Amino acid sequence: MDFNFDIIGGYLPLFLRGTLYTIGFSIASIILGSVFGLGIGFGRMVKSPLWRWPFLAYINFFRGTPLYVQILIVHFGLVPAFYGSTNALISGVVALSLNSAAYTAEIFRAGIQSVDPGQREAALSLGMTGRQSMRFVVLPQAIKRMVPAFGNEFIVLVKDSSLLALVAAPEIMYWGNTMKGQYMRIWEPYLTAAVIYFVLTYSLSKLLSYIERRM
Amino acid sequence: MKSRNKWVMSALIAMLVVVIAGCGSDNNASSGSGGEETVVKFASDATYAPMEYMDKDTIKGFDIDFIDAVMKEAGMKYEVVNTGWDTMLESVKQGTEYQAGLSAVSITDDRKQTYDFSVPYFESTNMIMVKEGSDIKSALDLKDKTVAVQTATTADELMSKIMGVGNTKLKRFDSNAVAMMELDNGGADAVVADIAIVREYIKNNPNMKLVGITDTPNFGSEYYGILYPKGSELKAKLDPAIQKVIENGKYEEIYKKWFGEAPDLTNLKNAQ
Repeated sequence: MDFNFDIIGGYLPLFLRGTLYTIGFSIASIILGSVFGLGIGFGRMVKSPLWRWPFLAYINFFRGTPLYVQILIVHFGLVPAFYGSTNALISGVVALSLNSAAYTAEIFRAGIQSVDPGQREAALSLGMTGRQSMRFVVLPQAIKRMVPAFGNEFIVLVKDSSLLALVAAPEIMYWGNTMKGQYMRIWEPYLTAAVIYFVLTYSLSKLLSYIERRM
Repeated sequence: MKSRNKWVMSALIAMLVVVIAGCGSDNNASSGSGGEETVVKFASDATYAPMEYMDKDTIKGFDIDFIDAVMKEAGMKYEVVNTGWDTMLESVKQGTEYQAGLSAVSITDDRKQTYDFSVPYFESTNMIMVKEGSDIKSALDLKDKTVAVQTATTADELMSKIMGVGNTKLKRFDSNAVAMMELDNGGADAVVADIAIVREYIKNNPNMKLVGITDTPNFGSEYYGILYPKGSELKAKLDPAIQKVIENGKYEEIYKKWFGEAPDLTNLKNAQ
């Protein structure tokens, strides 16, 4: 395989800019997705089936359809309806957050349900209210258990953001496609993109295992 | 426990070896028989109506009718497969599975460094598509506007030169269909694409009130060619057949079928 490093050199500044966008998309979406996911996770655990139903439907829809399709629906349907026109930055964050919320909701639920019910009963018998027992006894234990799954979701999000090239969001893969277009060569852009994504996700996983050890 | 792990490992390795060996012998078999058969396989990215597109599961379009006439002229068996753009580029470069690419590929100097091209078989130019009432009149008006193009097309190349490769107001999409949706939803002020594509889209969407603008000084003529791997022997066989089809009126017939008008062959013949 002939590999032309010169053409990568010319695109490096664009790839770096794309990396900043990828990081931005991922951080914004993991934050919004967790806040949203927390609400959905609690909604999912409501006792009454009638109230639980919409949250379940949300989770099933976003976990059961491809992100590829979700991005297109958000970009050409949802965002124009609210914003007036398409905007790749908004649709990028919205699509990734909505998708991520479905997964974090399940992470929250699994984390909370993994805490032995006895813990809550014990807290209640000490005179804590339901809310206090959740806040001071159940959640601290649940969060510790959620960290690995949550970190995994973050890494998946970084990689999945590459699909945003579909709607011309200027992240890493977008510049890879642009480079491919100019030179009609596929190895240089795709392998460069692969290396950048790997550096991002690998350093992220190192950071996460450090946090896990500290908790 | 330890010995059981060993067994599992050796079984896995054995499976891996079998799979790899299987792949290897498969390749040998197909390349061996490839030499005997004379079916020329063309790769194509059939998302480019009316040049090539999928009608349910069959590939259709101007290019497809054209290659049919050429291959009949040359007396060779052939097959056109919709592989998508990336696969086409890489597999035609290797030249083993697909011996040529047919996908309204414009002949450019950059591309000639990696591929061989047939003689030009189609004259095209890029066209700007805007909504009615837009103040855009020429390519230079697009400089500070938001423009949507399909990645890897000559429209992408032209607009990259006018607006700058790194300009984020130049939005590149996977297909022209998505680029046109972006215009429709207000995310772009204009789409630049091949004239045949733009005309077809305007014709098919009369309610959207779209206008096509040509700009000959800034968007010059470009010519489509069949894509070959470097050093392909196919070029010498097909070039005379292409010229024959253009000379004998068959080309004009196909052109009229797809574009409803007769082609102006002077430029095309000069380019050859």
